[in-house]
Amino acid sequence: MKKMYVLIGNYGSGKTELAINFALRAAETGRTEILDLDMVNTYFRLTEPGIMTRMKEIRLVSPNFTNSSVETLSLPAEVQSAFAMDWDTVVFDVGGDAAGSTALGRYHQDFMELEEGQLEVLNVINIRRPLSGTVDRIIRIQNEMQVHSRLKITGMINNTNLSVATTEAELRDGYEIIKEVSERSGIPVAYTSGKKEFLDAFLAEGHDPKYIGTPVPIDVYMKRDWDSWVKTV
Amino acid sequence: MALTLMKGSEAIAEAAIRAGARFFFGYPITPQTEIPEYMSARMPEIGGCYLQAESEVAAINMVYGAAGTGARVITSSSSPGVSLKQEGISYAAGAQLPCVILNVMRGGPGLGSIQASQGDYFQAVKGGGNGDYHLITYAPSSIQEAIDIMQFAYDKAEKYRVPVLFLADGIMCQMMEPVEMPPMVEYKVDPEKKPWAATGWKPGDDPAKRAVINSLYINTEELTVHNNHLQAIYAEIRKNEKMWECYKTEDADYVITAFGTVARIAKSAADSLRKEGIKVGVFRPITVWPFPYEELKEATKNVKAILDVEANEGQMYEDVKLALLGSKPTEYFGHCGSLMPSTTEIIAKIHEMMKEGK
Repeated sequence: MKKMYVLIGNYGSGKTELAINFALRAAETGRTEILDLDMVNTYFRLTEPGIMTRMKEIRLVSPNFTNSSVETLSLPAEVQSAFAMDWDTVVFDVGGDAAGSTALGRYHQDFMELEEGQLEVLNVINIRRPLSGTVDRIIRIQNEMQVHSRLKITGMINNTNLSVATTEAELRDGYEIIKEVSERSGIPVAYTSGKKEFLDAFLAEGHDPKYIGTPVPIDVYMKRDWDSWVKTV
Repeated sequence: MALTLMKGSEAIAEAAIRAGARFFFGYPITPQTEIPEYMSARMPEIGGCYLQAESEVAAINMVYGAAGTGARVITSSSSPGVSLKQEGISYAAGAQLPCVILNVMRGGPGLGSIQASQGDYFQAVKGGGNGDYHLITYAPSSIQEAIDIMQFAYDKAEKYRVPVLFLADGIMCQMMEPVEMPPMVEYKVDPEKKPWAATGWKPGDDPAKRAVINSLYINTEELTVHNNHLQAIYAEIRKNEKMWECYKTEDADYVITAFGTVARIAKSAADSLRKEGIKVGVFRPITVWPFPYEELKEATKNVKAILDVEANEGQMYEDVKLALLGSKPTEYFGHCGSLMPSTTEIIAKIHEMMKEGK
C-alpha cells in the first residue's frame, strides 16, 4: 500500500532535512518520490544540485523556477504523479507555517481519496525556534496550518535542534513542551528525530514512550561550504 | 541565556531593536524582505515605528529625518534598493547623521538575481553616492557576529556622527544558526549628548541651541572647513575602528583574503589544505572600511603568496594589492553574479599557484 508523508511545520523546524531522511530510508526498500512543495522560500531548499545527486534512486519533483531569480514559484503538473503513480512511499516537503502549507490545499481532493492509514500529516517541531518555543505558539501555528492545508495533522515530530550546537538537551526540552501540546491538542507524538548520538542519549533517559513515538535517527545532508565555521557564543 | 535557532534576517532585526533602534523605514526586496517583515511585527510591540515607505528613496530620507532628531533608526535593503538609497546616504554622511543601513547583497548589475553576491563592495567602501565621505562598513561572517557588531554599531555611529553600513549577503540573511541575543537596551535621546539633534526648538528658546540638519553649504570656504572636519573624523576612525580576523595565519605559507560568507568557505578550504600538509591561513577584514591595510601586510609578511577570493570580480582585491604594494605575489579567484566560490575550487586554485612556483 502506498504510504504518504506530508511534512509541515514552522520555518526552520527541519522539514527538508527530515524529508530527505524519510525518503532515503524508504528508497532502500521501495519506489520513492519526494516533492519539494515549498512555494515560499527562495533559498536553501530540497531542490539544490548537491541534494539532487544524492537522490539518485528517488524521483524528485520541484516547483517551476526553483533556484532561479523568479520569486513567484508555480506548482508543476508533475505533483499529480504522487497520487497517480504506483509508488511505495511519497514524501512531501512543504513550506513553513500556514503560508507554506497553503500549497497543499490544491490537492485536497486527492488526499481525501486516500485510504485509511495511507496518509501521515506530520507537524515538525523545533522548540529552539523563537516562534515555536512555547506550547501556545505551537498550538497556534498547528491550528493555522490545518486550516490552510485543509488537512488534519495526524502526528507531531519532536525534531528540536540547534543546528551545529545541538545536544540531547534539545530533544529533552522539546519532549517536555511537545508532551503538553499533545495533551492539550489530542494530537499524538508520532516521531522523535535527531542525530543518532543525541537521540540515543535522550532515549536512555527513560522518558514516557507515549510522547516519544518512533525514534528516527537522522543524518545531515544539507551541508554547505560555509557550514564548517560557525561563530557561537 | 539559552541559544535559539534564528534566521539571519530575524536575528539582525532583533539585534538592532535590542541596541535601541525604534524606527524602521524600508521597502521589501528579496533576499532581505524578512527584515521588514520581522520589524513590522516587532516594532509595534515595543512602542517603535515600522513604516513601509513608497520606495527606497523615500525610506532613506525618512531615516535622514528620524536620525536628525537623535533617534536610533535603521533601514535595510538589497543591492538594487541600496543603489536607490545612495543619494540619501551621501546626504546623511554630509549632515553627519548617525544611523544604520543594511545591505543584503544579491547578484548584479541592475536587477541581477535574488541569489547571494558580494558585488557591492565598491559601492560600499569607495563611495556609492557623491562627495568625499565614508561609512563605517562592517562585513560580518556569521549571524552571531552580526548580532555582536550591532550592539556597538549605534555607539560608533553616534561617537563619530557617521552612518554605519552592514555589508551582508543573501546567504547571511537566509541561513539559520544558533545564536544568543543580548539584553534589550532602553535608548533615550539625551539632548545634552546630542546637541546637534533637532529636538523641538521653538521661538523664544536659546538661538544657539537651534539645530539645523543640512548638507548644503552656500559659502565654499565653509564647505572646505566642513570637509576638513569630516576628513579629520575619518582619520580617527581609520586609527581606532579597524577590525579583522587572522585565522591560522601565524605559520601560513599561503593566506587567503576574503570577507563575509566567502571567508567561511575560505576557512573550510584552508582546513582541508592543512590536512594535506599545506599551511594555509585566512585573513578576513571585518571592517571593509576602514580596511585593515597595515594589519594585512603584517599578517602576510612571511607568506609565499596571497589568494584573494570573492563572489565578485575581485573588488576587495584592489585593497589587498594596495595593502601589499607589490611586496608579495597575489592572485584572485571568484565568480561574478550569484555563484559562490566553492571549497573545491579554492583548493584547486592554491594547488595551481603552488605548481606555478608561487
